Amino acid sequence: MVDVTQTKQSAPKKLYKVGRHHHDYRLRPNGTQEWSRARLPFTRRHWLKWRGINNPRTLTRERVLVDKKPLWWTLSLGALLIVTPFLPNAMINVAAIFCMYAAINVLWTLIIGTAGIFSLATLAVVGMAGYAAAAANVYLGVPWPLMFAIGPVVGLLIGGILALPSTRLDGLYYALLTMGVAEICRIFVTQLRPLAPTNGSINKVGSFIPEDWFLQREGLLLGFAGAFVLLLGALLVFRLVNSERLGLLLRAAKTGREDEAFSEACGIDFRRARMQVFLISSAALGVCGAFYAMYYRSISPSVFSLDQLLLLFAMMVIGGLGRSEGAVLGAAIVILIDKGFVELGPLRIMLVALIMGGVTIFAHEGLTGARQQFRNFRNRKKSERRAVRTEKGGEVMPEEATEIADKQEIYYRRFNKRLRDELKTYITPELIEEHRQAPLGRHSDTLERVLNYFRRGEVPDKYAILRVDGSMDRFRILAFSGERGAPPRVVDDKEYQTLSEAYHAVFLLRVNDLLES
Amino acid sequence: MDLSTLVYGLNLAAIYGLMAIGISILWSSVGMINMAHGATFAVSGYAAWLASTAMKPVIAAAFGKTLLASLATAGVVVGVALIAGALMGALIYLLAFLPIHDKPNFAVRSLIVTLAINIATVQALLFFFGPRSRGLPKIFGFGRLEIFGVSIRYDQAGTILCTAVLLLVVLEWLRHSRKGLEICAMMQNPEGAALSGVSVRFTALPIMMVTGALAGMAAALLSQTIFVSPTAGAIPLIKGLTIALLGGLGSVPGAVLGALLIGFLEAFTGVIPFLGQRYVMFIQFAFIITVLVIRPRGLGGLLDDTRE
Repeated sequence: MVDVTQTKQSAPKKLYKVGRHHHDYRLRPNGTQEWSRARLPFTRRHWLKWRGINNPRTLTRERVLVDKKPLWWTLSLGALLIVTPFLPNAMINVAAIFCMYAAINVLWTLIIGTAGIFSLATLAVVGMAGYAAAAANVYLGVPWPLMFAIGPVVGLLIGGILALPSTRLDGLYYALLTMGVAEICRIFVTQLRPLAPTNGSINKVGSFIPEDWFLQREGLLLGFAGAFVLLLGALLVFRLVNSERLGLLLRAAKTGREDEAFSEACGIDFRRARMQVFLISSAALGVCGAFYAMYYRSISPSVFSLDQLLLLFAMMVIGGLGRSEGAVLGAAIVILIDKGFVELGPLRIMLVALIMGGVTIFAHEGLTGARQQFRNFRNRKKSERRAVRTEKGGEVMPEEATEIADKQEIYYRRFNKRLRDELKTYITPELIEEHRQAPLGRHSDTLERVLNYFRRGEVPDKYAILRVDGSMDRFRILAFSGERGAPPRVVDDKEYQTLSEAYHAVFLLRVNDLLES
Repeated sequence: MDLSTLVYGLNLAAIYGLMAIGISILWSSVGMINMAHGATFAVSGYAAWLASTAMKPVIAAAFGKTLLASLATAGVVVGVALIAGALMGALIYLLAFLPIHDKPNFAVRSLIVTLAINIATVQALLFFFGPRSRGLPKIFGFGRLEIFGVSIRYDQAGTILCTAVLLLVVLEWLRHSRKGLEICAMMQNPEGAALSGVSVRFTALPIMMVTGALAGMAAALLSQTIFVSPTAGAIPLIKGLTIALLGGLGSVPGAVLGALLIGFLEAFTGVIPFLGQRYVMFIQFAFIITVLVIRPRGLGGLLDDTRE
């Protein structure tokens, strides 16, 4: 904002910065050249969400990156990719496990967040697919690359079975049902002797990691690379489902029953869309299952355990339910605590629980929602403070000023306010007495200034004098409506004998309005 | 299969019912799923064990080995379990209800916070007491009693009787006391109750404490049959939760019916030779899934629609 008020030297006023992004970095494009933007192959989408805007203050052309999330994703995943090869063996293992769980979490987020189905059978799908793939490899001699095909088929199958009751049940009832399915899966696997003879686990599963590399540095690095690709794949699935057609359809039916009815009325078959999302993520979870079996070269019933499920749930909750970045961040935190600080013993589970409780109590939507929550909080505080310091009366508030397109209006209103403040100091009993004695004719300088201001007033609510029944000694005061065709209103029922008295009455009314404004 | 299986089933039903009714009442009145109910269970069990070991010499000195001594032990165990349960309920109220009950997503967030409390409490118990399980004094004594030709163990009879009495007391309190009526009003229509001057905060506290005390009672009773251990709360919690859902959240008769069904199912599954104890959870979940697919709102689920 231009420093208008500083011209008045007597009372320098503190000016506040306008707008929400005054530290934002903005590109200055070359206005003489055309803007050529790279597109994603085979789509019409651009890589980054640059937007061209006109800066209303400097009137220059600028480019703003509206969505900075891709940068953060690239930075963090790139850092992981670069740093991991230099870590000790144990930490490479932790990184690989992080990628694997993050992938599972991202897909689970798809089910809970996008589809809005509160399913707890995620690990059951992963486990069953893993078992099926492992069994096919060990007992049927299927080569390991085909495990990546068996996994999603089984995942799709289990997902299909799980999805059937999801249209009838909702919320907690469905959560309970899926928990039951997980338990049934666990017992099924442990009791089926031919499938898993030793303690319910299948060992010596073929893998993309060669057998003599297993648990060596090369094997760990290869495992990490695989897990990283898995995570990228999960994120791609998330992006394709959540932000494309299916996700958009489901966004209409997101929160409550009214929304479901609304989207149904709009012709959105949200049940079908949900089912599709569920099936897609189940198939993808099947891939994760096959990978799980290959990474450890074995699979055991602990996949189905409630503790494991709770740990995964804690990851999502800490990061923020229903966001992919939340799923990944939460996985990073929890895996780091759980696998990175093994020497802490049972205390680390307690730490995870404490973080989970703390985050839930203080953050509305997990850690990734904390930024928005803080901004909302700061904006609220800001507006509270502004309400304390601003005096009302036509002046434009800084936040309001960014919304007004015609900047002339802002200066006019600010000028008017300052003018009124100045004029208010002129109003004295002597001035009123001067006007009473001679409403027309020559006036002192101050009175002339006040009257000039009054004369410039807008037509709505401007006062006028009415001669009652054409007589010369009965006058009343009206106020114009300011609308063509709408009659003026009578201000009060007082009648004045002379025109001068009426003039003075109008003057008093206006002074009153001025002092009240 | 004989009638003693029936008694065993009734015994299980009584304990699960105590948990399930607590969860059910809490959901319908306050609108939160209390996942820390298992922690309350375990904490009450440990509190009762601590108190009974601490009071043992005192009681022995005062009463010797008389009937009065065992009565005093029973009083200490049950009383401490009840008090510890109520205190734990108050703690959950302070952590999981008070800070977030007027914030967005209360239902999910309170579930998560109580889950966190549950995990943290179990880990804390493991840390302080170790994984070894402890036995509570047998408050009903050892022995069997013959009723209509069925032999019942003392602890089974005592459990069934105590649960019936306690449930009756709680239900009568709900129906006739002023606080109970306020709670009923909140169960029927939380918003309406708030508008007619029932304070949500000051009604939620007694609900939490009463349901916590019910869990404490369940702990004292179940510990007559099995031992107290840090993870002892997990199974009763899952059973209570499933029963509360099976009965339809918010319906007390539904919860009682669900508890009876699940209790008998467990007892009979354990007896059938080719199924055995291993398949108890399997059969139970299969049964619950069948019921839920047929009746999506549980057995007595009517209130759920109004809650949405």
